[in-house]
Amino acid sequence: MSIEHAVEMRGISKRFGTVQALNGVDLELRRGELLGLVGDNAAGKSTLMKTLYGSVIPDAGEIFIEGQKAALRNPRDAQALGLAMIYQDLAVFNNLDVAANVFTGREYTRRVLGITFLDKKRMYNESEALLSRLRINISSPKLLVERMSGGQRQMVAVARAIGFDATILIMDEPTAALGVKEANTLLDLMSELRDQGISIILITHRISDVLSIGDRVMVLKGGERQGVLNVEDSTLEDVEYLIVRGRPDGSG
Amino acid sequence: MTANQTPPTRVESARARVRELMAPRESGVFLALVIFFVVMYTVSPIFRRPFNLTTILRQISVTSIVAMGQTLVIVSGAFDLSQGSIAGLAAMVTAKLWKNAGLDPPIAIIGGLGVGVLCGFLNGVLAARFRLHPIVMTLATGAVFLGVNFYITRGESIIGLPDGLTWLGKGLIGPVPALIVLMFIVAFLMHILLTRTLFGLRVRMIGGNLKASQDVGMNVERIRVGIFTLSGFLSALGGIVLLGRVGNALPQIGQGLLFPVVTAAIVGGTLLTGGVGSMAGTLIGAAIMGIARNSLVVLQLNIYLQDIVQGMLVVVALLIDQFRRGELNWRIILGRDR
Repeated sequence: MSIEHAVEMRGISKRFGTVQALNGVDLELRRGELLGLVGDNAAGKSTLMKTLYGSVIPDAGEIFIEGQKAALRNPRDAQALGLAMIYQDLAVFNNLDVAANVFTGREYTRRVLGITFLDKKRMYNESEALLSRLRINISSPKLLVERMSGGQRQMVAVARAIGFDATILIMDEPTAALGVKEANTLLDLMSELRDQGISIILITHRISDVLSIGDRVMVLKGGERQGVLNVEDSTLEDVEYLIVRGRPDGSG
Repeated sequence: MTANQTPPTRVESARARVRELMAPRESGVFLALVIFFVVMYTVSPIFRRPFNLTTILRQISVTSIVAMGQTLVIVSGAFDLSQGSIAGLAAMVTAKLWKNAGLDPPIAIIGGLGVGVLCGFLNGVLAARFRLHPIVMTLATGAVFLGVNFYITRGESIIGLPDGLTWLGKGLIGPVPALIVLMFIVAFLMHILLTRTLFGLRVRMIGGNLKASQDVGMNVERIRVGIFTLSGFLSALGGIVLLGRVGNALPQIGQGLLFPVVTAAIVGGTLLTGGVGSMAGTLIGAAIMGIARNSLVVLQLNIYLQDIVQGMLVVVALLIDQFRRGELNWRIILGRDR
């Protein structure tokens, strides 16, 4: 398998009852690229990403991560391999501050007299450093997430994923619920992350988003891959044509 | 990590510290407490007597101690309605261990606390492992604990308790009543537990977002058991302090404790839906109720107004909370929300 690919999926198929959600889909995510994944509703985008994240087990097909064949039985397997998926319904703790969210599940602690105390100072310092490294504009790691906007919450989720040393980020419709300005900020963050070497798959309905910051865009329709276009030499019409009509010559 | 971030200046961190201390939830009730106190202090000469102020603190101490446990439980997204019964059972077991088993008071007290821990542990296991709904479950176990209490005492009081058993409720440390000191120690330790330890963070996490907590892979069951066990322990401690306040061991001790306890937590800003609450808030909530009750006495109003005032305080606290969370606004109240 080619080592230039962060992710390689081969012949992924998945059937739910009578519905063939995915039919022999291939996907290559190059290292450090931002790949858009587009298609109509029920095209199979989310299902494909869930198989990559281990939350859906495919009926057939193989997945290679960093050139190694991966057996993904659950999201924890995927996380161990450096994957992180950020869903629309975010698993953030609104009642906690930014730092607590960034360090969820791997808090810095100190044991004193057998009691595990939180090393808050270290978590505040490191999450502040992480936020500034990612150029995320959140004024303080002590900010409560419930006082933050939808876009900022997304960014906290991203910071958390990167903090967990994720190198491959899957984002499912991150801008769907955001206003224009916030969506743009989030898109800026994604291209910033890509520039820092993170490989990103972006599921979205907003094709213009992918065309503005993406490297390539892959189109799914009816659970089948219709094609992969280079963003540089593609127009909105090219992508939309594939989404609606499918591949012109009947081949991948 | 990168070095290009600017460290916060001293003034900035001081400001952040003040903001942290005056986090809106507590600062609102704290302001209410201050205003209430100042008004009463100005209006009533009896109120401002040092003896009266100490009396208020003594009156709220048991409620506060038990309410610290309830706050922990509510923050985790549950309820413990068996606290009053645990307090009563622990108090009676303590008295019986001294009277019938002839144990030294300190040993008897440890025995009573042990009973509280055991009751709390049972609640925790039923809530965590058997997944029973905490409200109905603790209502039921509370009935069981009360039943056990009356079964072993046959409803009879134990009088003539030795100083060793009543010291926590009656004794002095220097000029200060021991139970007031105990209340502040418990409040301090519980504050540290909730805000500074991994356990406290876990409590806030499972109360704030249970599903995400499970996804993170933390041991939710063990944390639940720990929470209820601690609630049982503090209930027992409250019961044993009551023993000293009352002077005799009455089986019905601890009955009537639950409502003020829950009131203190709610008035103090603990969110019923879980995830949010503080020990400082609960202490303030208990103080507001204590002053309200005391005001009726020093202003020579009918003491039976007490229950009415207390009940109304809870309703007002709930209303304020609904407004704050945006669940309620004037349009909804006026029926124009269509």
